[in-house]
Amino acid sequence: MGVSTTSGLMQGKYAWLKLLLITAIVALNGYAIIMMYASGEYAFALLNLVIVASGVYVFTSKRAYAHRYIYPGMAGMVMFIIFPLLYTVGIAFTNYSGTNLLTLERVERMHLARTYTAQGGTFDFAMLESGEGKYVLQLVQDDKVLVSSPLSPISNSELSARKQTLESSEVKLSHVEQKPELEVAQIRAITQNRQFLNSLVLVTPEGDELVMSGLRKFAAQAPLFTKLDKDRVLQDSGVVIPGGSALRNNQTGELMMPNMETGFYQYIDGNAEFVGNRVTPGFTVNIGWKNFERVVKDDGIKKPFVQIFIWTVIFAGCSVAFTLAIGMVLACVIQWEELKGRAIYRVLLILPYAVPAFISILVFKGLFNQNFGEINALLNAWFGIKPDWFTDPTLAKTMILIVNTWLGYPYMMILCMGLLKSIPEDLYEASAMDGAGPIKNFFNITVPLLMKPLTPLLIASFAFNFNNFVLIQLLTSGGPDIIGATTPAGTTDLLVSYTYRIAFEGSGTQDFGLASAIATMIFLVVGAIALFNLRLTNANKSV
Amino acid sequence: MAEVILNNVRKNYDPAIHQDTLRDINLNIANGEFIVFVGPSGCGKSTLLRMIAGLEDITSGELKIGGNYMNDVPPVDRNVGMVFQSYALYPHMDLRENMNFGLKLKKLDKKTIDERVDHASDILGLTPLLDRKPKELSGGQRQRVAIGRCIVQQPSVFLFDEPLSNLDAALRVKMRIEIAKLHKELNSTIIYVTHDQVEAMTLADKIVVLSPLNPDAPTNLEQFGEPLELYHNPANKFVAGFIGSPKMNFLAGELVEKGDKTSRIRLYTGDEIVAAVDTSSAQVGDKVELGCRPEHLVEVGHAHADCQITGTVQVTEHLGSESYVYMDVDGNDFTFKARPEFPAEAGQELKVGLPTDACYLFDKDGVAFPRTAKYNKD
Amino acid sequence: MPMVQPKSLKYRKLGTHIAICAFLCLIIFPLLMVIAISFRTGNFSVGDIIPRNPTLDHWRLALGISVENADGSITPPPFPVLTWLWNSIKVAGISAVLIVVLSTTSAYAFARMKFKGKSTILSGMLIFQMFPSVLALVAFYAFFNMIGDFIPWLGLNTHGGLILAYLGGIALHVWTIKGYFETIDPALEESAAIDGATPWQAFRLILLPLSVPILAVVFILAFIGIITEVPMASVLVQDIDKMTLAVGSQQYFYPQNLLWGDFAAAAVLSGFPITIVFLLAQRWLVGGLTAGGVKG
Repeated sequence: MGVSTTSGLMQGKYAWLKLLLITAIVALNGYAIIMMYASGEYAFALLNLVIVASGVYVFTSKRAYAHRYIYPGMAGMVMFIIFPLLYTVGIAFTNYSGTNLLTLERVERMHLARTYTAQGGTFDFAMLESGEGKYVLQLVQDDKVLVSSPLSPISNSELSARKQTLESSEVKLSHVEQKPELEVAQIRAITQNRQFLNSLVLVTPEGDELVMSGLRKFAAQAPLFTKLDKDRVLQDSGVVIPGGSALRNNQTGELMMPNMETGFYQYIDGNAEFVGNRVTPGFTVNIGWKNFERVVKDDGIKKPFVQIFIWTVIFAGCSVAFTLAIGMVLACVIQWEELKGRAIYRVLLILPYAVPAFISILVFKGLFNQNFGEINALLNAWFGIKPDWFTDPTLAKTMILIVNTWLGYPYMMILCMGLLKSIPEDLYEASAMDGAGPIKNFFNITVPLLMKPLTPLLIASFAFNFNNFVLIQLLTSGGPDIIGATTPAGTTDLLVSYTYRIAFEGSGTQDFGLASAIATMIFLVVGAIALFNLRLTNANKSV
Repeated sequence: MAEVILNNVRKNYDPAIHQDTLRDINLNIANGEFIVFVGPSGCGKSTLLRMIAGLEDITSGELKIGGNYMNDVPPVDRNVGMVFQSYALYPHMDLRENMNFGLKLKKLDKKTIDERVDHASDILGLTPLLDRKPKELSGGQRQRVAIGRCIVQQPSVFLFDEPLSNLDAALRVKMRIEIAKLHKELNSTIIYVTHDQVEAMTLADKIVVLSPLNPDAPTNLEQFGEPLELYHNPANKFVAGFIGSPKMNFLAGELVEKGDKTSRIRLYTGDEIVAAVDTSSAQVGDKVELGCRPEHLVEVGHAHADCQITGTVQVTEHLGSESYVYMDVDGNDFTFKARPEFPAEAGQELKVGLPTDACYLFDKDGVAFPRTAKYNKD
Repeated sequence: MPMVQPKSLKYRKLGTHIAICAFLCLIIFPLLMVIAISFRTGNFSVGDIIPRNPTLDHWRLALGISVENADGSITPPPFPVLTWLWNSIKVAGISAVLIVVLSTTSAYAFARMKFKGKSTILSGMLIFQMFPSVLALVAFYAFFNMIGDFIPWLGLNTHGGLILAYLGGIALHVWTIKGYFETIDPALEESAAIDGATPWQAFRLILLPLSVPILAVVFILAFIGIITEVPMASVLVQDIDKMTLAVGSQQYFYPQNLLWGDFAAAAVLSGFPITIVFLLAQRWLVGGLTAGGVKG
C-alpha cells in the first residue's frame, strides 16, 4: 500500500504519551547501558544500544512505518539467535572456562582483598560479661593483655530480622596488667554475635589492626597484595614495569603481573619474565586462534573430534535415509484407495510423532536398559541374548538409529502424503496402459517425482539431525566414552552434544572457549547447508 | 458528484530504476462522465486507477477530485468507491455486513446504514440474499454485491477495475448492460478499467487509450476521446490497431503524390492506392503505412472498390452471418470481412477492393495523417 | 483408482494388511509397554506385557499422592510431576501466544508491505533459524545472568527468562503465516482501506479473522515445540520446582536410582494430553509442517 495510507503515530492526541514513553525507555536503557559498560560487559551494552536505538528510530520515523510491524519479531531474533551466535563466536577466541571465568578487574579486586597474618601476631580472644548485655573484649598474647571498653553487640538474629549488614567499625584497645575480673561469656555468646565481631577492627595501642580470624582468635591482618600505581624500574635488569598492573606481595616482597597469554597472575623475576606458578583464579583473555589450533593439533581433542564428526554425518545421513525410505513406502500404501481402514492406519502410524519426543526417548532408554529393560528381557527369553546396548559402541549406535527412525518416519510419511496428492492420477493410468505394476510405478513415477520437492526438506531434516541434541542427551548422553580424549567425549556423541558436554560437563574444567570454537565450526557447516538449501529452494521456485 | 483532474501525473515504482510506469498523464474528467481506461496488459491502466483511489502514491504531478488536491489524502477521505477485479468481498461476513462494513467504520447511525443498504440491494436485486456469505453466491451476484458495497458509500466517483473479467462471456454482456443502466440511474462519475475494447466502446462516454510506456516516449497516454472519434480518427497507429475488431490491417509503402484532399501511395506489394487523407505536411517519397479496417474492405467489382490489394488466401472462417478471410499480402497478415459463404479456397490468389474514403495513413513514427472523408459503405 | 484391476489384487491387499499390522505391532510396542509398566508393581522389569498384579501406586505418586507400602512405610512422591506439567503448560502456552503475536505482525509486514531489505531479512531469518540454540547456551546463560541484574523476574532460574528465550524462534512461523497471508486477496484490505479502515483495522477486522486456522496451527506447533524443548530449559532453570516436564522427567533416570515404573506413570500422564492434541490437529498441522520442515 502506498504512502498515503499510512498514518503517522506521532500525531494525534496521544503524541505526548508516546513521547513520554520513549523518553522513559531511552532514560532507563541509557542507565542500563552505562552500567553494563562500566562493568566491562561491552557486548551487552552494545546489544542494548542497538536494540533500543533501532527501536526508537523505527517507532518515531514515518519512513520506517512498515518496520514497526517486524520490529518486535526481529528484535527477538537479534537478541536470541544472532547475538548468542556472535557472542559464542567471540568466546571461541578467548580462554573463557571454569578456571578463567572472571574479568581481569574482578580478579585484581579479589587479589587485593586477600589478607595475611602480619606482624603483631595472633591473640587469644574471649568475651567478658560486663552486665546490662554489654561485653568487654579481652585479647591475650603471651603475657600481654588488651581489653576494650564495654560494647553492646548486635546479635545475628537481630541483624537478620532487621535485614541489616554492618559497616566495619574500629574499636580501640588498651593495655591492662591483669585479666579483668569479669566472668567469661560462653562460646554461644560469640557464635550469636559472630557477624558483629567479624565487622570489628581492633586497634592496639601500637597501631596494629586486628580482625577476627577464628572463633577464639583475633589476628593482625594486612592486605596480601598492594597495587603498584607508578612505573617501577627493576634493579637487576633495568626493565620498566608499567604502573597500574603489577601487584606486590606484601609478605614476600615479590612482584606479580597478569599474564595476558595464559589468563593468570604470575610472579616475575628480575627481567620481568614470568617464572612462578599460576595464581588462581584466572581471568578471561583473548587467545586468538588457539582454541581452533587445539582442535586441529591436540590429539586428545582432534581424534575424538574427527571421530565424532564422521559419526555425526553418518547418523544424520542414515536417519534421513531410513526415515525417508519407510515414510515414503508407508505414504504410498496409505494412499492406496483400495485399502480399507486407511484412516485408522494413518492415525496409528503417526502416533510416534504425536508423542512428545522427550517422553518417547526416555521410554526407549528404559526399554533398552541392559539389566531391567523389557527389550533385553524379551531377547533373553526368546534368543538367550542380552546385548550391551549402552556399553558397546556399535550396539549403542544401532540403538540410536533404531530410535531415531521410529521417531522420524511419520514426519517423512506426512510430507510424502502431502506431495503424493500433487502427482497427477493420469500418470499412473498411463503407466497402467503400459503394463507397469505397483513396484515399477513406485520406482519409475513416485520416487522421481517426489524427490525434487522433497530435496530441500530432506536437507533441512539432515541439518536437524546433524544437531539432534535431545536424542543423544536423553538416550545415551554420548556414552560409551571415547578412550584417550582429554575432554568429555563419547562414541555416540554428535558434535552438538560433544560441544555441550565440553561446556557444561567437564567437572571444574568447563572449557567454554573450546566449546565455542567447535560451535563456531558447526555454525559454518550449518550455515553452508542452509545457504545451499536456500539456493535450491529458490531455484525450484523459479523453475 | 465530482470531476477528476490529472495534471502531469507520473508513476515510478522504483526510483532506483528510471523506468516509469506512467508518464505525463493529463486528463480532465467532467462530472457524471463514464470514462474507460483501455490498453493492453502492462500499460499501467490499473495503476492509474489505483492512484486515483489512493492505493498507490503519485510519484509526481497533481490529482484533483471535486476541485480538491488529493495527492496525500488517504483513500477513505477521497470519497471514491471501488469495485475490484476479484470483487474483494469479505468472505467471513454476510452480504449485509459486507455492505455496511464501511458505513459502520464511519460511525453512521443504524437507521441511515439500513436505509442505504436496503436501497442498494433493491437496485441490484440482492434483497433476498442479504444473509448469505459470498461463497454461496454466483459470479454475477458477487459482482453485484461488490457494486452495492460501493453504492452504499455514496461516493462522488466510482472506480471499476476490470470488473467483468472473471465472468463468462454471456454473463459479461448482461452485466455490461446493467452497469450502463446503473450509470444512467446514479448519474455519477465512473472510471472503468478494462482491456476489452468492446466494453470500452459500448460503455464509455470517453475512452482513454494507454500503451506500455516506451522509455523514450514523452507519455503513454495515446488518445483521450469519444469512442467513435477513436474509431474514425485514431491519433496514431497504436490506437488504430487497438480499437476495432478484428484488428486493422497495416501495409507499408511510400508516398508518391501528396495532397490536402487525397494522396497516392505505392505499397511494397506493388499495388497503388489513392487514400482520402491530408498529407500536405509530408514529403513525396516518405515512408508511410496504410491502414484499412477488415469491415471496410469490399469485393472487387463493388461500387466502392476504388483500389485493389492482392494476396493469397490462407484460411476462411464462415460464421454464418459473415465470413473472415485471412490472407497473406506480401508477408503481412491481412484480414477481410466478407459476406456470408464468400467462396475463398486456401492457396487461392484473391484481390480485395479498398475504398479511398476508408483509408487510414500513418507516417514513419506512427502518427496519423488527418482523414478528409468519412466512409459510408452503403 | 476406479480402474479395472487384475485378480491378484485380493491377495495383494491381504498381504499389505498383514505387513502393515506387523509393522504397527513393532511401532506401537514401546507405547503399550510403557502403559503396562505404569500399572506394574515395583520399579523393576518382569517382562510381562500385561501386568500380573496391576497397581495404581505409580499413578498415585505421579499425581502427587503418597503411597503406603505393605510394611507400613510411606513412599512420598519422588518428583512434583503435576508442578512440572503445569510449568510446561504455562511456559509453552505464554510463549506460544507471544510467538503467534510476534510472527503474525511480522508476517503481515512481509506479506503486504514494501520496505527496504525485505528479501534479505526473509532469507537471513531462514538461515539463522537453522543454528541450534544448544550451541549458544553459554551466551544465553550470560545473557540472562545480565538481564537478571536489571530485571530479576527475567533472569536465570525464572520462567519469565525461559519464555523470553523462546521468543527468538519465530522465523519458520513467520514464513508459514506469510505464506498463508499471501493466499488472501490483497484487494480485501484495499477495499477496506477505501471503506475507511486504517491499516490496523484492515489487519484486525479483515485479515485476522480469515487467518484463524493458520494461527491455530502455528500456536499448536509452537506449543509442542516448546513443551519438548530440553537444552535451553535445562540450562536456564535449575530449581526442581521450576523445571519443565521435559527437563524434570530425566530425573527418573539417575543411574543409581532408576524409577522405571514411576517414570512410566508420569510419562503416560503428561504425554497423553499432548499426543491427543496433536492427533486431533494433525490434519491441519500437516501444511504447517511441510512449510517448516524442521522436526524429524
